[in-house]
Parts: sequence; C-alpha cells; structure tokens
Amino acid sequence: MKSTITLSLCIAALTANLAVGAANAETFRWASSTDPQTMDPHAVNSSPVLGFLNNVYEGLVRRDQAMAIEGALAQSWEPLDDKGWRFHLRKGVKFHDGSDFTAEDVLFSYQRASSEAADTSSWFSPISEVRIVDDHTIDFLTKAPNPIFPDSIANFMIMDKGWSEANNAALPSKEVENHATLNTNGTGAFKLVDRQPGLKTVLEPHDGWWGEKQHNITRAEFTPIQNPATSVAALLSGDVDMINPVPIQDAARLKERDGVKVIDGIEARVIMLGFPHGADALKYGADAGKPNPFKDQRVRAAVSHAVNVDAILKTIMRGAAQPASQLVSPAMRGYSASLSERPAYDPELARKLLAEAGYPDGFSFGLKCPNDRYLNDEAVCQAIAAMLSQVGIKAELEAMPVRTYWPELRADNFDMYLLGWSPGTFDAEHPLRFLASTPNKEKKLGSWNFGDFSNIAIDSMLPNIQSEIDDGKRQMMLDHSAKVLQDENAYVPLYVQPLVWGARDNIDLTQRPDNFVILRWINVN
Amino acid sequence: MFAYAIRRIIQSIVVLLVVGLVAFAMFRFMGDPIDNMVGQERSTVDIERLRGELGLNDPFVVQYFNFLNNAARGNFGISYQQSRPVFDILLERAPATLELAGVSGLLAILIGIVLGVFTAIRRDGLAANTIMVVSLIGVSLPTFLIGVLLIYLFSVELDLLPSFGRGEVVKIGGWSTGFLTVSGLKALVLPAITLGLYQMTLIMRLVRSEMLEVLRQDYVRFARARGLPEKLIYFRHALKNTLIPVLTVTGLQLGSIIAFAIVTETVFQWPGIGLLFVNAIQFVDIPVMAAYLMMISVLFVCINLVVDLLYFAVDPRLRDDNAAVKI
Repeated sequence: MKSTITLSLCIAALTANLAVGAANAETFRWASSTDPQTMDPHAVNSSPVLGFLNNVYEGLVRRDQAMAIEGALAQSWEPLDDKGWRFHLRKGVKFHDGSDFTAEDVLFSYQRASSEAADTSSWFSPISEVRIVDDHTIDFLTKAPNPIFPDSIANFMIMDKGWSEANNAALPSKEVENHATLNTNGTGAFKLVDRQPGLKTVLEPHDGWWGEKQHNITRAEFTPIQNPATSVAALLSGDVDMINPVPIQDAARLKERDGVKVIDGIEARVIMLGFPHGADALKYGADAGKPNPFKDQRVRAAVSHAVNVDAILKTIMRGAAQPASQLVSPAMRGYSASLSERPAYDPELARKLLAEAGYPDGFSFGLKCPNDRYLNDEAVCQAIAAMLSQVGIKAELEAMPVRTYWPELRADNFDMYLLGWSPGTFDAEHPLRFLASTPNKEKKLGSWNFGDFSNIAIDSMLPNIQSEIDDGKRQMMLDHSAKVLQDENAYVPLYVQPLVWGARDNIDLTQRPDNFVILRWINVN
Repeated sequence: MFAYAIRRIIQSIVVLLVVGLVAFAMFRFMGDPIDNMVGQERSTVDIERLRGELGLNDPFVVQYFNFLNNAARGNFGISYQQSRPVFDILLERAPATLELAGVSGLLAILIGIVLGVFTAIRRDGLAANTIMVVSLIGVSLPTFLIGVLLIYLFSVELDLLPSFGRGEVVKIGGWSTGFLTVSGLKALVLPAITLGLYQMTLIMRLVRSEMLEVLRQDYVRFARARGLPEKLIYFRHALKNTLIPVLTVTGLQLGSIIAFAIVTETVFQWPGIGLLFVNAIQFVDIPVMAAYLMMISVLFVCINLVVDLLYFAVDPRLRDDNAAVKI
C-alpha cells in the first residue's frame, strides 16, 4: 500500500515536472557563428545584422517565405508614372514603446539610412526626393524610372523619429556607440529585452504587433557560438534548439541522430572564379612577369571546361550544393532560364582551347583563395588547382583568412581568385552593377570587380536595365547581359552555396535563401 | 629588498613597452578591419574615408604612440566590432575569466599537491602508478581535445552538464558571478577541469619528484631515526621543503591559466576575455587586441614580481639579515 502511494506521488511529481517543462518549452534558443555587430539597422549592411534585426524592425515591404515581396509597414504601393513610387502606409501600427507609426518616421528613417554615416546609403542612390503626402502616404521620387526600387528596400528598416531624436541617435554611428547600438524601438513582432554584445541577446514577442501571430515563442535567446564543434554539441545536448550553420562534414552525422534534424537548402550565394582582365602580366608562379594569358577568352573558356564542378559538389560539398551557370542563382529575380547550362566538364576541349590560344604546354600562375569565408573554400580551391593542372595549367594556391584576402584583391595581387556573391536585392541586376561594370568611383559601379572586367555592352545596358519598367523588355536585357558574360567567360560560375541548418525535432521553421532566421515563423512543439 | 623591488619594476616597464611595440608592428599583418565594418555595397570611397578616420593609414609607430598616449589617460579606445569602449568590455568580461581561472587554479594546486605527495609516499603502489600513467594524458593531450571529449561525454551522451556558456549569472555591483546559481556552478565544472588539468598534472609531477628528492635527504632520515610519526615527517618537514620550486611554477602557471584560457573559452563559448580576444583577432579589432595584450603582459610581469618577492618570505636563506643572525 505504502509503495503504491509513493509511486503515485512520484508520478504526480513527474507530471508536475512535465507541465513545467511544457510551459518553458516555448523559449526558443538558437546559435550562430556570428553575433550581429550592432542593433542599429542602418549602421552595418551585413546579413547577420539585417537578418537578426528583421525580427525587431520592419521595412515598408518584406519578403515572404518564398522570398516574394509583400507589404509590411506599407499596405500597398504604386508607381507614380515614371517619377517614382507612392507607398500607402498601414494605419494603427505602434512602435514597441507605444508611439504611433506615421510617414514622418519613414522620412526620418530615409534621411538616417541614406546619410553618409550610414552603411545602407547605396540603396537610395536612385532616389532624388522623399515627400510626405499625408500622415499615411509617402512618395519616393527617383531620378529615373526604377522598377525594382520596392524590391531593393526589403531590408530598409523604419525607426521611430521621436525615440531616435530623444536618445541622440538621429544618425547611425559606426565608430562610437550611441543609444541605438544597444537598444531598439521597432514595430516588429519581437522586441529586444536584453542585449549583451558577443554573449547573449534576448527577444520577447511584441504584444501590440499589427500582424497575425504565426509563432508560439514566448522568449527567444540568441547566443553566438564561434566554434563549430561546440555548436553541434550544444544542439545534440539540447542546450540550444537550432544552429546555423551546421558544418558540412557534420551534416550527415547529425541526420542520423535521434532528436535532431538537418534542414538544407541553397543560399543566394554563387561561388565563382575571377580573372585579372586588366593586368598585363602574370604576378605569381614560374611564369611571373610573362604576358597575362587570361586576357584571352579561349584561356578563360578552357578554365571553365577544366573544372569538374560535379565532382567538387559530390566530394567536398557532399552533394548539398547546386552547379551554377550565371552570376545569380535560379531563385533570384531576373535569372536567365535559357542560359542554365554550365560549360561541360571536358579536359580535352580545355587542352585544345589552350593550344589554340598559344599555350600547348600550359603555364603556371597564382590562385588566391580565402580559407574562412565560404563553406569549405580552401578545399574547393585545392580541388580546382588539381583539376587545372590536369589540363596543363599549374595553379600555385595561396589561401588566407578573409581579413587579409580582400585587401590583397583590392591591391590586384592575384592571377585568379575565388569569389562568392549574394545579391542584396535578390535581383540579377545586382551582380551586373558590382561585378561586371567597369569600375567607376564616382558612379559607385564595379566596386567588387577586382579584375577590371570591362565590356561596353554591359556598361551601356545597365542604366537601361535599371530604369526599364516593362518586365519582358527588362528580362530580355538581363538575358542578353548574362549571355555576354557567359560568352566572354568574364567569370567562371561554379556552384550555388548550400545552406545547412540544424534543429531539434520539435522545432518548425522556415529557411529562406537569404539565411535569415525569422522568428515569427518558428513554432516550438 | 626595496631597491630590488624598484629595479624589478623598472625592468618590467621596459618589457611592457617592448611588448606593445612588437604587437603594433604585427597588427599590420593581421589584415584589414575595414571589410568587417562596412557591408557588401560599400564603395571604395567609403573604405578610404573610414580608414582615415580610424588612423589606419598612419605608420605603426604613430599608431602605437597614440595608443600609449590615450592609454596613459585611461582611454583604451573604442572596439571596432562593438563600437563600445574597450575598457568597459574588458571589465564586463573579466569576471568570467577570473572565476574560471581561480577555480581551475585552486583545483590544480589542491589536487596536484595531494596526489603528488601520495604518489611520492606510495611510489611503488598500484594506485600511485595508475595515477602517474593517467596523468600522462593530462600532460600530453591538447586542451581543446580534452574539452571536446568532456563535452561529448558529459553533455551530449550523459546530458549531465551544459555544453557551453556560463549559465545564469548574478550581478553584484559590477561583478557578474556564476557561483551563486546552480546552472552557473554546473557550467563551471567542465571548463575548470579542462583548463586546470594540465596544471594539475604538472604540479603533481613536480611535487612528486621534489618530494622523492627531499625524502632521500639526511634530515628526513634523522627524523625517522628520532622516531617522529610518518605524518609529521611527510607534511611538516618534507612537504615544506618541496614548496619553493612548486611556488615558482604555480605562480607562472597562474598567469598562463588566465592567458591560455583562450582555448578553453573558445571550446566552451565561455564569455571571458580569452574568447573576446579570439573574436578580436578574427575581426582585426585592433583596440581590443592591443588592450588585451598589454593587460596580459602586465599580469605576467606582476606575477613574476610577486613570485620573486615571495621567495624572500618562504626561503630564509635569501633574507640576508636573518642569515647573518643564524650564523
């Protein structure tokens, strides 16, 4: 009898425990390798910052689960003939501190985000003026017709004018902290309750949010964990509910474990090889000082046929990535569906092309590569070097951390380099502007075109692409540009980088190609 | 002794200045912080402007001079990564590292000395030999491997202890402590063992060999002949005389526990200054790196100084005046 009582007491205690467990279960803890540097949505235009702050702040528009643009703080918008865009703002929206959202806040945020102190000013280079029509209507006037402007400002986040000015944060600050570096006052579904830079950031739902709640989170805790082995262990032991990213080499092991799942997709980022189009001579290897063979299109074409992308994907990326044929992935707006075939792996053809170009015995050159920027970047470069040497061109590989990599590329210290590009606007125009245009400081063009690729067709087509309202005509020009880049072998696109997240089995979430963790779609079961 | 101390302090300052100069000369090879501070859509003009504002175009000697100049006024600069004063960040992170280092240092000394004495006394016993063999693991396995193994065993497989972080902390004034909560104490176990294991085995082996040496000395034999109890011989006469070298090594190791907590802190995502430094390297956060390196060198120099002065206290032979009286 006595033992039965003890037993039932035990069971009671256990169920009580379970009940407590269920109440706490709606805390969602996640870890990523990078801590957002700041809580100021205009100070740093990087995906860890914008991805995190997408939960706290909102833009006029936002991207849905399939990356399509939908209204957020703007309920609707329409073009003003060719002069710009009119946004009709949502009424009754409140900031986290209870103040009202009006067109004044949009104008203020525009001025803040486009100021010289901001890192987001490039989004507003097409804008000539922003004009308030009434409390809930605002016009963005553009210098030329701009069909993709609403698409390009999904990460332009609206701050509260009153709050920012009262806290001396009317301008973003990069070098010194200000109130907005550590504090927020957005309109988003979550509000910031605790911010410890580099350690922990805690969010809680914003009760007065205008939207329909699709999550069941009561508290969300973010911890940056730099060491990949530690983050995998944290997920396995249940200390966190989700990690981003999962190291590729651990993904297979995680898939087999009970209690956790791996969510993989592809990112917006295309990995490619770049060439020194403008250089006269090779800089590295045994042939340093000799004329630059990569000026010859046939040599660049030979490189594209010599690299066995399928083998790289199978062995190094463990099948998670997709081959790429253009500077953007198929998920982007303006992708050219007719040009989806990448050059076939054909070492014979590569050797033939090299011989035609006057290099029957090949040559040697230097390949620069980062070792901590893209997934398995150094291993990919080693494989590429080996594949190129099979057709007779010998790559001297130099891999380095990304903190020294960009300065080297800016100083033109390469004969060939690896680059990954993720278009911030999710549109095919973006890489044309940054990678394919002739570098021009005043017009802010070609700022990532390290090899000084220059093509008159691309340069003259870009302004037309930027201002073409008609989708069909625009796509024709984008197709044409993509064709020019493919024919010229300006870059050798290799693959679209995979996106690998890990989560506990009881977590429902949505993974988007921009690698943002959007809390309002997460459910803890 | 006073003159000696003054001389040592002057030497220490010179060492510090040289460390700083070498550090600043090396920062140029660490890479460029600018790319981490601006986004993808930056223009080349933005890069140049920011570079000028941060003084990155100055020669390293000028940068070093500016750093010293500001540091002398208590201003250690603004972190590039967090845009906050470096001094505040260091103060915020120091308690985590000091608590971890303190606990693992204490563990290392206590367990190290006890096991060292034990293995010396029972030098042929099975237990002592087992301990000696196991201690080889502590000396030879790299810290990060021990850390990962412990996490795998105790967090992933047994689910007893947290795999990362510091648990709940309580703020007392400016000091955040993990000692007052259950999760804080649980979080401390694995990192403290990982960090202290090497030191523990080192102290243990040192105590053992010193002890064996001392036990062969004549005065121990005489003590035995006088019929003193074993306990008194071991702990009163023998152990005391083994402590001088142990003190030196322990003192220096205390510095390295704090300095090399870097690896342990990275493996356990322990929010201390070591982790801060690792992140600063990745980001090329020069103000944080400079302040950290200077702080660690001040620490080492101070510990050396204290250890030197402690010799005076422990070893009567070094005290000239006392020696004269004894003769």
